[in-house]
Amino acid sequence: MPELGKLALAIALILAVYSIVANIYGVRRDAPDFVVSARHALWSMCAMVTIAVVALWTGLLRSDFSLEYVAAYSSTTLPTIYKFTSLWGGQQGSLLFWTWLLSIFTSIAAFQNRRRNPEIAPYALAVLAGVAIFFLFMLNFVTRPFDLLATIPAEGSDLNPLLQNYWMAIHPPSLYTGYVSATVPFAFGAAALMTGKLDDAWIRSTRRWAIFSWFFLTLGNMFGARWAYEVLGWGGYWAWDPVENAAFMPWLVMTAYLHSVMIQERKDMLKIWNLSLIGLAFGLTLFGTFITRSGVISSVHSFTQSGLGPYFLTFLIIVTLAYTALLIFRSSQLHSPADFESYLSREAAFLFNNLFLVGIAFAVFWGTIFPVLSEAVRGVKITVGPPFFNRVNGPLALGLVFLMGVGPLIAWRRTTADNLLRSFAAPVIIGVSTGVVAAAMGLREWYVMTALSLAAFVMGTIIVEFRRGMNARRHMVSERRAIALVNLVAKNNRRYGGYVIHVGVIVAFVGIIGSSFFRTDVKKSVHPGQSFTIGSYTLRFLGLSQIETPHLESATARVEVLRPDGREVTVMEPAKLFFKRPQQPATKVAIRSTPIADLYVVLAGIDDTGNTATFEVFLTPLVFWLWAGGLMMVLGTVIVMWPNVRERAAIAAALSATRDRAPAADAAPGGD
Amino acid sequence: MRIRPRFYIGGALIALAIAYLIVSAISSTSEYYLTVDEVGARQAELGRDPIRVAGRVKPGTISWEPNTLTLKFVIVPIPDPAPTAPVRPVSVKAVDSVSFPVFCEGQPKPDMLAENRDVIVEGKLTAGGVIIASQVMTSCPSKYQPKQSQ
Repeated sequence: MPELGKLALAIALILAVYSIVANIYGVRRDAPDFVVSARHALWSMCAMVTIAVVALWTGLLRSDFSLEYVAAYSSTTLPTIYKFTSLWGGQQGSLLFWTWLLSIFTSIAAFQNRRRNPEIAPYALAVLAGVAIFFLFMLNFVTRPFDLLATIPAEGSDLNPLLQNYWMAIHPPSLYTGYVSATVPFAFGAAALMTGKLDDAWIRSTRRWAIFSWFFLTLGNMFGARWAYEVLGWGGYWAWDPVENAAFMPWLVMTAYLHSVMIQERKDMLKIWNLSLIGLAFGLTLFGTFITRSGVISSVHSFTQSGLGPYFLTFLIIVTLAYTALLIFRSSQLHSPADFESYLSREAAFLFNNLFLVGIAFAVFWGTIFPVLSEAVRGVKITVGPPFFNRVNGPLALGLVFLMGVGPLIAWRRTTADNLLRSFAAPVIIGVSTGVVAAAMGLREWYVMTALSLAAFVMGTIIVEFRRGMNARRHMVSERRAIALVNLVAKNNRRYGGYVIHVGVIVAFVGIIGSSFFRTDVKKSVHPGQSFTIGSYTLRFLGLSQIETPHLESATARVEVLRPDGREVTVMEPAKLFFKRPQQPATKVAIRSTPIADLYVVLAGIDDTGNTATFEVFLTPLVFWLWAGGLMMVLGTVIVMWPNVRERAAIAAALSATRDRAPAADAAPGGD
Repeated sequence: MRIRPRFYIGGALIALAIAYLIVSAISSTSEYYLTVDEVGARQAELGRDPIRVAGRVKPGTISWEPNTLTLKFVIVPIPDPAPTAPVRPVSVKAVDSVSFPVFCEGQPKPDMLAENRDVIVEGKLTAGGVIIASQVMTSCPSKYQPKQSQ
């Protein structure tokens, strides 16, 4: 099997190179046979990478320790599910997995465009193949997944215990899916620049890809946060670690992109901006991989340190320079006939929303690379931690939330005072009264009060929007309220799905505010029978029980949770695990989640006699709503992506119109 | 795309505000990230600035008192991991010449803290040369680092 995998990767590289040559030759020399042949080459490349993935999976499942990768990231005692996920537990495997996703997405894009976009698709597929070549080059020559060991060990060194967790089983695939699928819109953007077909065909053809990518970036970030919350045992879910930032930045830029393309689709504006954003999003996915795989910025994720940095950096620089050059080369063709007219317009709200999102991304980027910069400039590494990110992003998040409320309600082009009053009176009242109620309840933190008021304001605008739409429907077709709501969402799924996402963002935002500002914690060492309190709960340590399996030893504490009136709420069982290979302890947190607050109990240590246990307990208000908001964002995105017959027809019409316009565009001044 | 000048003003204002936030936050929240050797060399100028120190736990120095959550150990420089690098004639000095006691109170002992483990210590250096740590973080064992590919 290893030989087969190795061979398959070599063939895949050759096929990727061939597909570029055939695609470009075919489209330049008007030889459609070559374009077809290039498509087949890409499908075959996908088949080859699939064979390599299956070969590595086979090695992992069979515990074939002659493979260096299997010996390093698996063992005979590893549960089968984690043998599967070991594919992305280490460096070579995760690059292989990445390449596999890329080849699958490339194949799908090739299939979708077998008759569509005849002018730009071959270039876009060539760009995708170019990215594939980089990863296949790495897999063939730099970090090979099928390297063999000279002496075969009897047992593997096992997957890192921190990664033996179901969130870690799904977090990397989600994130990688989000990263890699951003390559498709990027490739079409680059193709539009190469060919000079700069209308919005590239955006329309890849709109679903962009949403798909955003969807998985959202999931990936949420899963990562959830993993940190459940596994790392420090009570939080986000530490502004470089690796987390690396996943967050593409999400921010993709969010900006999804909003600003609406302006281009509607008003034919912001062309350069959109092309820049998608380039930035793709660059950030590479940068993210560079950070996680190079260890250039020390991070708690240090198990990914390796020497891949220079390769990724080189590739990143080449891509950035080439793309920037293309943008400059085409800049004269990218001017838009339309114009911004007023600050009080939806265009302006979207533009400023974009500035905020990119601003946050920039601040995160700056904070992430600051240690490297300061070392280069001043000779000493200076780091900025969570306080930096919170101080910068806190106010920016408020601005963003405010614009979330303004954007959907304000009119295109310009708004009259009358319109403003009609649309925003109710939401403003809702927002202000929320602030007043919060103050009356004793809240004094200005940031929290502002944040809650703004959140209520946004919710108010969304309710106004839904009511407006429902009333219109009930007027026209006299439907019952519930049916009107369903039809409203079904018939305008992009718009109302978007609002559902906004509701999810606001709910998650409230969860973040509550959990960041009102978390309390208690650390205590106790003997069995002793108790201590946190918030209104009393926790009594009942005792320890120890279990041993071939894979690990565990010590589980039983902790009784009591209400003030002495009633038992539940018994929680935080545990300490001692993995045998390698000998490494890990923590299993016990969490009791309620919409009001999470009780989070960590068995931080036991002394050698087994008589004293040290607990760290957190009471985190509202963190429940972060995950609930995440689920709503997922639901909203599913609504947005739901196939819509009317929209399909519109895209088909737009694309055929593009085809009719094409000769005229070629003749335009500045064309090639 | 034409954007009227006043939109440039609005955009510039936002950009300036972001720049101001970044600059002011960096100056008030940044901390030195140093090796144990560097702490030794810069001891005088560090004063009461918050620091982050990467070092290795000296064997036989860990003391953990669970009842008071008091952790003490001594941190020494992480030895150069690259024996393949060209021999540096100057590095004859004793490796353990610099060391600092670390004192951390009120935090549970990190799971992976052990002798010869690499750690990152956040805290302040006292005039007496003790690092009063607010947090001790362990890096994962080097076993998990894939071999350096060159």
